[in-house]
Amino acid sequence: MDLTHNTPTQGDKLTQRYDVLIELGDCHATVGDTSAAKECYEQAADLEPDRAEPYVGLGVVSLQNEDVANAEIAFKVAIRLESRCAKAWCGLGMACQVKKDFAAAQENYLRSLDIDPDNLTALLGLFQSSCQMGSFARVIFYLEAYLEMHPGDTAVMFCLATLYMKDGALLKSQKLLRDVLVLAPENADAANLLEEVENKLSQAVNSGAGTNV
Amino acid sequence: MSSCTLDNPGPLVSVMMPTFNRRRYLPVAIASVLAQTYRNIEVFVINDGGEDISDIVASFDDPRIKLINRRENRGKAASLNEAIARSEGKYVAYLDDDDIWYPNHVSTLVAALENDSEGVAYSDLYKSYCRVKEDGTRTVVAKKVEVSRDFDRFLMMHMNHVLHVSLMHRRDLFEKTGLYNETLNVMIDWDMTRRLAFFCDFKHVYDITGEFYAPVSECDRISVQRRKDRGDYLRNVLTIRTSRPAKPWSRVKDLGIIFVPSRVDEAAAAALRNIWMWTCHPCMVYLPWTPRELALLNTDMPNLRRVTVPEGATFLQRVDAAAAACEADYITIVPSGLEIGQMWLEKSLWPLMNTFDPRLAFELDSSTEAAWSAVMTPEHLRAARAAGPEMGLRDGLKAAGISCRKPRIDEMPFRFDDAYNEGRRADANGDWLGAAQSYQYAAGSFGNRLWMDTLTAEAMRKAGKVSAAIEFALRANQRRPTVDSLRTEALGRKASGDCQSAIGLLEKARDILEGKHTIWT
Repeated sequence: MDLTHNTPTQGDKLTQRYDVLIELGDCHATVGDTSAAKECYEQAADLEPDRAEPYVGLGVVSLQNEDVANAEIAFKVAIRLESRCAKAWCGLGMACQVKKDFAAAQENYLRSLDIDPDNLTALLGLFQSSCQMGSFARVIFYLEAYLEMHPGDTAVMFCLATLYMKDGALLKSQKLLRDVLVLAPENADAANLLEEVENKLSQAVNSGAGTNV
Repeated sequence: MSSCTLDNPGPLVSVMMPTFNRRRYLPVAIASVLAQTYRNIEVFVINDGGEDISDIVASFDDPRIKLINRRENRGKAASLNEAIARSEGKYVAYLDDDDIWYPNHVSTLVAALENDSEGVAYSDLYKSYCRVKEDGTRTVVAKKVEVSRDFDRFLMMHMNHVLHVSLMHRRDLFEKTGLYNETLNVMIDWDMTRRLAFFCDFKHVYDITGEFYAPVSECDRISVQRRKDRGDYLRNVLTIRTSRPAKPWSRVKDLGIIFVPSRVDEAAAAALRNIWMWTCHPCMVYLPWTPRELALLNTDMPNLRRVTVPEGATFLQRVDAAAAACEADYITIVPSGLEIGQMWLEKSLWPLMNTFDPRLAFELDSSTEAAWSAVMTPEHLRAARAAGPEMGLRDGLKAAGISCRKPRIDEMPFRFDDAYNEGRRADANGDWLGAAQSYQYAAGSFGNRLWMDTLTAEAMRKAGKVSAAIEFALRANQRRPTVDSLRTEALGRKASGDCQSAIGLLEKARDILEGKHTIWT
């Protein structure tokens, strides 16, 4: 009878102020205004003390400020509040990577990707830490899964091609790099890597060795 | 544009603020009224038998405030009526004791009314969702413009879409509408806006000029609490729907329902109850019954006109007798057996009201061979009866050259609501593009452009159509920004890599949420 007294639907309506603060914090963090970002995340945390996102934001800001210890604390708080927060695990991975604890970094990135295989930051972090550690099997799995979801992402295709090459899968690497160059003919890194892969392939053929394609 | 200056203070505006046991919020509400940029106001604070507030009123030390201290609690309608009787303003405006106006509220609406020949205007308001602590402190968690609907008289007969706190109207309109109905205990605002709609078009001003509070948890508003008694609520609804201000009505055409049952029995009584229950358009029900039949009638239903016919009168003789007594602009004849439910009449009445063809009448949706019924003008009925006094009505209309058919879907009322609700459903199901299409169809075909553009922008953003989202949000923000439309545009800008613009937009949204644009907080 009365549109002016309609009952609110619960959900997105009631987190509007919190959402604005988080989004504003993210924008400030993106442009490097870490103190403004921190203020926004702190206000958001006051408003919704049980949500993980503000602490993830605070962790990212601490990382930007090279304050790894506080970043780790913030990400751990976020994980305590929400154990399946992929961004928090990813952030913790980044903190570990900065500390050059690549094993822990890899573990945290993997936990992040288990929750959200679509998390590109975790994926690239996993790639970097795996390169440092020389273990590629699990990162290849996640990169392949990511490409299934985002075919044509040349940055990830390039990473995967690099790992294929390091893992000795030269034909797979060659095919992927050719695909990258079809999509991005000006990609010099891909062109250089393709040249390197094809050199290795010809050496392998000349030496009579097979590849583990 | 009317402006208020020292030389020209503008017309006096009487502000009505009834209050009952809300000491916690009253000072902020009063402060928001006194902070109006438009100064020529008289402010009636009516304490409806609640705890003493004289200290609060005195603390403002402003001669424009007039305190009315009522010893007993007699309800909001009685409070308003008492203040209205003492008021002298050209215009009347309303504020509840826990809501606020922004400083532009009165000036915006006075300007709208001074430039308008009608006498009613309304603005948009934020519904301010808040968490309330035990000490009464409110933390705002969201501000939404949930109702921004252009005036729709046909809808107003069904439900209210104009917030009382956003309303301003000429005081002399009370001479036509009458005062607030003191027998109602909820929805006195709808009762008044509905009655105003008999005499005026309402001007919708899109500016946001205030906010009303809605606790996230249980709402303590008296009106909300009282709605929980369904029986009482229904009584109020039916009282409002059957309210008919004194004629002449300049904006509403009257409807006469001629009820001719084959016999006066339980089924006839049920049909009569259903007419009362389900007819939203203002109407008068004519009963062309014999004295014996009328004697069986035991009801306090309003708007019944008894038309005595002799014993043995035929169906057509009864119709003729009722038609002769009927002063309505539209007529429908209801026989026994006609199904009467929600929208039973309005689906055919609306196309009749809107047709340009004077020789077109509309059969009711539930009309059948056995229980045929249509809505028509008195001219149609006279022509049908003149064409063949012994002919049935349907044949008579045909013989008189008047077409009569059921309405097509596209002729039915509330087409905007159909499109809007389709959009909401698509939205809820994650079909964002479908939702955007429905909102745009609603706006393009039936109006409410600003409201629909805001919803379209957000649906487009969710669909990943960033540039379309920015375009719609920008259009809305250029006309009237809200927290939602600012946020939608910001997220679009951010997605397209323009973080600096996004920051500017989000900061505006944050300022609104924090009340930084209000000067008294």
